[in-house]
Amino acid sequence: MSVRRPFEYIGEAIRAGFDWAGGISLLLGRSLIRGVQRPWGIYDIFSQIVALGIRSLPLSTLMGVFVGMALTWQFGEALMGFGAKNAVGSAAALALVRELVPTLMALTIGAKIATGVTAELGSMKVSEQIDAIASLGADPIKKLVWPRLVASTVTLPLLNIYGNVLALIGGAFIADLVFDVPAEYFYETYIDELYPMDYISGLVKSFTFGLLVGLIGCYQGFQTKFGTEAVGISTTNTVVATSVAIIVFDFVLTTIFLPVG
Amino acid sequence: MGKSVCLKLMIGLLPYDAGHVLYRGKEVGEMDAENLRELRRNVAMVFQGGALFDSMSVFDNVTYALREHTKMSDQEMLERARECLDMVGLGYDKDILYRMPASLSGGMRKRAALARSIAIKPEVILYDEPTTGLDPANIERIGHMIRKLQKELGVTSIVVTHDMPIAWNCSNRVAMLWQRKFPYIGTPAEIQANPAPEVHEFINGIYHEDQD
Repeated sequence: MSVRRPFEYIGEAIRAGFDWAGGISLLLGRSLIRGVQRPWGIYDIFSQIVALGIRSLPLSTLMGVFVGMALTWQFGEALMGFGAKNAVGSAAALALVRELVPTLMALTIGAKIATGVTAELGSMKVSEQIDAIASLGADPIKKLVWPRLVASTVTLPLLNIYGNVLALIGGAFIADLVFDVPAEYFYETYIDELYPMDYISGLVKSFTFGLLVGLIGCYQGFQTKFGTEAVGISTTNTVVATSVAIIVFDFVLTTIFLPVG
Repeated sequence: MGKSVCLKLMIGLLPYDAGHVLYRGKEVGEMDAENLRELRRNVAMVFQGGALFDSMSVFDNVTYALREHTKMSDQEMLERARECLDMVGLGYDKDILYRMPASLSGGMRKRAALARSIAIKPEVILYDEPTTGLDPANIERIGHMIRKLQKELGVTSIVVTHDMPIAWNCSNRVAMLWQRKFPYIGTPAEIQANPAPEVHEFINGIYHEDQD
């Protein structure tokens, strides 16, 4: 019996993983089918973009500026040892645009968005508001999931663009102030290093992360059981699921985009 | 156990794998989205805690189903909302339409939820423990509302309750859920006269220590 126990746990974990992935896929499918039907709920979507996106601007600003400054400083120190500090813009550009800004933005802002959505929908589930929407003849997926899914999918790429601009400004500031590399020169070498595919890679990543964040946030909210404690459990699960999903998908997308350019 | 579940089965909020729930001869569990929408246009539900939408004003809550099912103008919806709130005794508060659910007392929330359920003029209203958590005056008020709506709007009410005075006063027929079945169904007088010990003990609130 004791020998079997670990295998049972592993089996249960794998089954739970498949259940979860199946549930998420089903929710995505239903959202896409019902979401594209009229009425499109433009007002709800716009409200969610404001709620999820505009309110994330302060955190995105901090993220963008400090990631740009920290990475430029690190690269600058390393390059100075080789007498190549002027290449700091080129070195920082790829790492920031292709990897760090989209991923860190998704891990912080994405987790914030996902947990907010889970807590909101979880509270609605516990207080029977989701049942009330259905009982009044409306579709909870269309009313609650679709606007949040679209908003997070649109918001994260936009915040990624915003974060990239701020990372560039933060990097230029450090390059000029710490390494005596003129900000204009940093800017030119930074931009020269980037090709359209680098921007596309970053944007596709943040688009995918946005979709994942919205989907996981909504799914966990809908899966909330009974009682206020359940909302806390769902929210914690959302942080874990979102972080793991972002890291795994980042790796998958990196392996896809690296050979492309 | 299972009273609220019964109501949710009746309105198609939960799936079932045995038995039948029929609305006008149609199996609720087999209804497609359009039929379910029609069912919910005619059968409204008042949830235990009211389940008012926190992020919406009382006006938006009360007119929610109107926006879903009708093409009423804003003015018509405003008039309908006022009419419904009058009917449930909240019309005295002129600002009620623009208040948020969080600013309402428990009794007001239940009555606002009742107003939301009657706005669309349903044929049937399902009440899930409508008097839970209310003080005696509000319990009496809610009971009065249920009877008033039955008389004035001609709606059928299905009330899930532990509150025996409400059960006796609001109903033509009472069904007692016992061990996942409805073995006792009858008029209030028949149920009160039923000699079965579980019925007698339940309706009179008799407790035996050996039941623990």
